[in-house]
Amino acid sequence: MTDAQPPFIAIEQLTFQYPEGDFYLHIPELGIDAGTKAAVIGASGSGKTTLINLLAGIVPAVSGQIRVHGAPLDQLGDAERRRFRIANIGFVFQDFALLDYLTILDNILHPYRINRALNLTPQVREHAVHLADIMGIADKLKRHVHHLSQGEKQRAAICRALVTRPPLLLADEPTGNLDPANKSHILQHLFQYVDEAGATLVAVTHDHGLLSGFDRIVDFQAFDCPQRA
Amino acid sequence: MHSLYVAWQYLRFHKVKAAVLIAALTLITFLPLAVHILVRASEVQMLDRSQATPLILGQKGSALDLVMNTLYFASKPPETITMGEADRIDETGFAFAIPIYNRYTARGFPIVGTTLDYMSFRRLQVASGRMLAVLGECVLGAAVADQLGLGQGDALISTPENPFDLAGVYPLKMQVVGVLKARHTPDDRAIFVDVRTAWVIEGLGHGHEDVATTRDPQVVLREEDGKLVATAKIVQYTEITQENMNSFHFHGDTGQFPLTSVIAVPHDDKSATLLRGRYLPETSAFQLIQPLGVVQALLQNIFKIQRVLNIIFAVVSVAMLLTIILIIALSLRLRQSEIETMYKLGCSRLKMAELVAAELGVIVMVSLVLTSGLTALALHWQTALMQQFLS
Amino acid sequence: MSLKRSGMLAWLGIGLILMAWTESQAQPAVYVVNYPLHYFAERIGAEQVHVVFPAPAGEDPAFWKPHVETIAAFQAADLILINGAGYAKWLKTASLPKSKMIDTSRRFKADYIEIQDAGTHSHGPTGEHSHAGTAFTTWLDFRQAAQQAEAVTEGLSRLLPEHKDTFEQRYAELEQDLLALDERLEAIVARQRARPLLASHPIYQYLAKRYGLNLQSVLWEPEVMPNDEQWDGLQSILETHAAAWMLWEGSPLPASAAKLQALGAGSLVFDPCGNTPEQGDFLSVMQQNVARLQQAFQ
Repeated sequence: MTDAQPPFIAIEQLTFQYPEGDFYLHIPELGIDAGTKAAVIGASGSGKTTLINLLAGIVPAVSGQIRVHGAPLDQLGDAERRRFRIANIGFVFQDFALLDYLTILDNILHPYRINRALNLTPQVREHAVHLADIMGIADKLKRHVHHLSQGEKQRAAICRALVTRPPLLLADEPTGNLDPANKSHILQHLFQYVDEAGATLVAVTHDHGLLSGFDRIVDFQAFDCPQRA
Repeated sequence: MHSLYVAWQYLRFHKVKAAVLIAALTLITFLPLAVHILVRASEVQMLDRSQATPLILGQKGSALDLVMNTLYFASKPPETITMGEADRIDETGFAFAIPIYNRYTARGFPIVGTTLDYMSFRRLQVASGRMLAVLGECVLGAAVADQLGLGQGDALISTPENPFDLAGVYPLKMQVVGVLKARHTPDDRAIFVDVRTAWVIEGLGHGHEDVATTRDPQVVLREEDGKLVATAKIVQYTEITQENMNSFHFHGDTGQFPLTSVIAVPHDDKSATLLRGRYLPETSAFQLIQPLGVVQALLQNIFKIQRVLNIIFAVVSVAMLLTIILIIALSLRLRQSEIETMYKLGCSRLKMAELVAAELGVIVMVSLVLTSGLTALALHWQTALMQQFLS
Repeated sequence: MSLKRSGMLAWLGIGLILMAWTESQAQPAVYVVNYPLHYFAERIGAEQVHVVFPAPAGEDPAFWKPHVETIAAFQAADLILINGAGYAKWLKTASLPKSKMIDTSRRFKADYIEIQDAGTHSHGPTGEHSHAGTAFTTWLDFRQAAQQAEAVTEGLSRLLPEHKDTFEQRYAELEQDLLALDERLEAIVARQRARPLLASHPIYQYLAKRYGLNLQSVLWEPEVMPNDEQWDGLQSILETHAAAWMLWEGSPLPASAAKLQALGAGSLVFDPCGNTPEQGDFLSVMQQNVARLQQAFQ
């Protein structure tokens, strides 16, 4: 390992807690290199989703350091973290979080319509169609969400996450609502992107049967996250 | 643009919700406007017509009834005056008199008996057919022709005033000879006849076979002192034709025949004053009124009603706006997870507000377009609508 | 003639035609119901008005029935002069604008003569009524004719106030002519006013009344030979009314005149001139009438 290259994700003595409530998270140290496919496992309520939100800059750390792709998230304000998110993060949610009133194509292109920093060009549209083609939902682009199966929905959601070509892909239980056949397909797609784009994947999962494809397992059992009584 | 696109997609997907909001907004903007337009239209029309009608002579009584009957052919006929009163106005040399006898109806429309001077006074022209030429003919206002589907060459039968009055008025079959151009005034909703035709309807004039030359023994009842007494077998014509025209005649002095009112058109202001001097309330058996004053008093009342209506509309509008705000607030709460997703996708608070504003904007725009459309329609049909209310 | 001159003449001609045309356009239309009013209106209105008398020649305008188109023309006129006294039966049933109508005999309405012997009848509950009308040859009393002409003057002055003085001047001349006729007729009959006279038709009521003529009427037509019944009727009249002359509206059939002559009565024409005369005008026809009547009083 070369010391000259800092890890893609670097966390040191990170603490987080919500203004109200009992939840408390402390990660003494965590480093994930670029191009890693990392699975985050741990008990419910152990803070896996919070880690994802911290990495995305959605919630700020209370103390400690967190750097992602060179950005010191612990030192950035709300607007800067949002800009960081737009530029760096692709999100895949357990419940797909597609908008029912948009067609699949419009859902995929949605990040471009709600972020001024992104420019919706014909090339972007082409790319979106291309992604859908890869995902096998090219014929569903004009349809609304409720016409799609669960698996198709998650593929559409993945297209949306990948359309901006993010260097970091964050997935929160991406296979949680899928049947076994779809689970491995979805993971294959994510892995393929990471491999081809040289991106980094951090995926929260409960499903220990899927861990074999990951390069690295981050187990929350290892962190100090006492349920403060 | 993107915000508008997304908003439009949202509203398209939630059609019912959007339609309800648009309908509610359209109604709260259009209703007060519509009332305002109608009141304005009625004001303009009533003022126009009353301004164009300098003086009305009628029997003493309700001035409003007299004006409504003479100008708008509405309300029940006032007590009658005589044709002699019209002649008397002519003889003063101060004004010329237009007799009006508006008492009978045909298929729901007033039969206005007058002279051709009325037509030139109101600048009524025939759109098809011709003007009245002889007794028994009628010309129809544009709306009458339209609603009854009648035109030149058709016939129209007057409605008996009392169907059980066997001895009295026979319905008259009138020949439609022309249809007037639409003027968007109450004239569109009237049937015009010569005042003498109206008297024929009243039974004051009629035609029959010449008793002196008839050979039918059943007709001549008996001869008394050289006078022939006819039986009821003599045909009472219910139609005036070229053939029986010559036998039409009036019983008695036409100067004693009834009119509901007389429009007096003074030659100048001085003549008007002098004429009014002849009909001072203290000394005259009749009332000579300026319809403008009567109508203005009536409009005052309409304005009062409009003010009350405006207050009601204001209260209803506030209630409706509050409801709409509540609906929007509730719908935003329902869309909390969508908002969270968008935030995670990098959407700023400002952009989020912009999206919601775009949705509202589209709703407001569409309802404004609808309101404008409805308003344009209301403006276009205002006079027709107004006449519906007036008659 | 040079081309230039003939061209100028052509232009002049066109100009004159245009002038005449615009003048006729500018002239208000005055419609009348009989020839006397036509004559009065023409004399008083002259070039300022366009007088129209639509009754065809050979018809009695009193009983003529105009076509609907003619009624429309009356309606469109600027002034309508009617005789009044029930003259022109068609007016009873026609719709005309009252404001444009001048009843020229209205001012002597009180002097109208009711025809008494037309018979009355009654039917229904409304009681008896009469079809008897009013005698309408009002202008045969020349003072009444003058009053009618005065009403025409007033009507025209109301129509064209700027010509009021001219109209009144012309009326004064016409009045003089009419009053001269009146005076002459009065002078003729004054000597033997009670002389019995016959009339072929009951149309001379105002003439008889004004000049105190002792006139009895029958119901004959000049162009029809009276039947035996009518001759018998005449004879019974002659028994009490020994007339030496009968007044005819037009020249009687020679046979009628001869038979009448045999009964001791000469024939003389007193043309009421209700319609346009074949020769002359109202004034000349009346002058001839008066001259002929003079025979009866010699």
